[in-house]
Amino acid sequence: MANHNIPYAVLHGMNVPTSFIHQEGSSFDFGELEEAIVLQGVKIRNDDEAKAPLFTTGRPAATLEMFPSWPMRFHQTPRGSSKSGGESTDSGSAVNTNSSKTENQLEPESPISTKKTTPLDQQQGMASDISRTGTSIAKLPQEKRRGSTSEKQLDAKTLRRLAQNREAARKSRLRKKAYVQQLESSRIKLTQLEQDLQRARSQGFFLGGCAAAVGNISTGAAIFDMEYSRWLEDDQRHMSELRTGLNAHLSDSDLRIIVDSYISHYDELFRLKVAAVKADVFHLLTGMWATPAERCFLWMGGFRPSELIKMLISQLDPLTEQQVMGIYSLQHSSQQAEEALTQGLEQLHQSLIDTVAGGPVIDGMQQMAVALGKLANLEGFVRQADNLRQQTLHQLSRILTVRQAARCFLMIGEYYGRLRALSSLWASRPRESMMGDDHSCQTTTDLQMVQPSQNHFSNF
Amino acid sequence: MHCQTTGSWGSYMPTTRTAATVVVGDPLERIERLASENAVVIFSMSSCCMCHAVKRLFCGMGVNPSVIELDQDPRGRDMEKALIRLLGASPAVPVVFVGGKLVGAMDRVMASHINGTLVPLLKQAGALWL
Repeated sequence: MANHNIPYAVLHGMNVPTSFIHQEGSSFDFGELEEAIVLQGVKIRNDDEAKAPLFTTGRPAATLEMFPSWPMRFHQTPRGSSKSGGESTDSGSAVNTNSSKTENQLEPESPISTKKTTPLDQQQGMASDISRTGTSIAKLPQEKRRGSTSEKQLDAKTLRRLAQNREAARKSRLRKKAYVQQLESSRIKLTQLEQDLQRARSQGFFLGGCAAAVGNISTGAAIFDMEYSRWLEDDQRHMSELRTGLNAHLSDSDLRIIVDSYISHYDELFRLKVAAVKADVFHLLTGMWATPAERCFLWMGGFRPSELIKMLISQLDPLTEQQVMGIYSLQHSSQQAEEALTQGLEQLHQSLIDTVAGGPVIDGMQQMAVALGKLANLEGFVRQADNLRQQTLHQLSRILTVRQAARCFLMIGEYYGRLRALSSLWASRPRESMMGDDHSCQTTTDLQMVQPSQNHFSNF
Repeated sequence: MHCQTTGSWGSYMPTTRTAATVVVGDPLERIERLASENAVVIFSMSSCCMCHAVKRLFCGMGVNPSVIELDQDPRGRDMEKALIRLLGASPAVPVVFVGGKLVGAMDRVMASHINGTLVPLLKQAGALWL
């Protein structure tokens, strides 16, 4: 009789705190509760060991509570013939209570678990008429009530049933625990993979190196090209958000969110360019990351802010007088800044020519060292140019209302989309005959065909 | 934009000096003093192209800045180090002060021009007349 009050864990020598053992004499009511608490504690300890620095210790309990209804899709452990026919659901042996080995056990089934199932089978064989499902715990309160009202004069059958329920409840908890641990270890793997990928990306491993080796460009340039093409994909997404936002006549606050996210999208591009400038300034300066038509208008590694504003001015109507003044003032100040940077760059060119060409070569290596130092200054200019571009976009969004800003950014996106489309067309134009007139007609018709669906030509 | 309160460094000047120490003067204090002598002060180096760009910017706006070339100043090296500490970044030049107050390096100067705060500041300091 006393045997049934001893917890299963203790019966089979599992690692359990001693306080749990001394409940032999206590009433049945507390048995299950204490069991649940202790197993929870065991699980938390197990998970702490498993997860090391990646997760806070508070997590296991939280994740355990994420799954109020437990999954029934586990492997069935092949059981011996002592298995009762009354089992309706899986009583799969998802027993993973071993503390230190959790990260290796991805499936509920494991060599260790099979060891534990056989004693379970023995206990199951004792009562064959009770179905053990996840609702066994729900049954327990009833059992407890019945137990207490009979003044602890429990007959063997009832005891067996209660023990069965305990078993079922325990197994369900273990299954749940195993499932959660499986998820946790998958999460760990995912995080590690992401970290590896991040590290690889930053070190220019494989993709960058591969592309560089194949395309004869530097690793930094290859990485930027990759990131830029991803940025272009994001750009498409943002543009359609802007478009639907405008057509849906969203409230200003809703539209503001979309506009702000588009500005952040551009901020992201400037962040990418900061890294690219350090890695390979010439790649940015030559504009090989951009399409040919865009390259036409390239200024210091990107678009010329005053040109962009000029493009926008006519299309931004209607503007208040204050807004008009603001836009023209912005155009004027960006022109001044561009002029200043251009002149600074020209002085750098001249200085470089002087160094490389300069006079009788007294010390070739020294000359080269000086020239290298001057070349490095190019990075500063591209950085300042990008800074100017970023500031211009921000100022635009300050001057305009939310709706105007949304339309403005849509215009910018579409403008560059068209330039890219133009580049594609140019690249694929027929070149067999050099008959001028025939050529131009053909290209014009192509353009006319393209216009309605210009948004599809996003990538070069 | 950073604003620097003038004269706050004066209290750091040690009152007693041993005979062996050369009285050099705090470089930061010298920078401040020079910065307040004119409406627009640019700390520069004659070989620096970005400094040339910032000078062109102000000249293009019709401002006549006073320029201090650190490579031509005997105490230039110390002032360069002090400027790096002040900015919290390298390079030390160009650095612009308007009306005695620090505007910053090239990126800050351009940002303030684009967002429209530089011109009012210049007018306030008397460097620009409409």
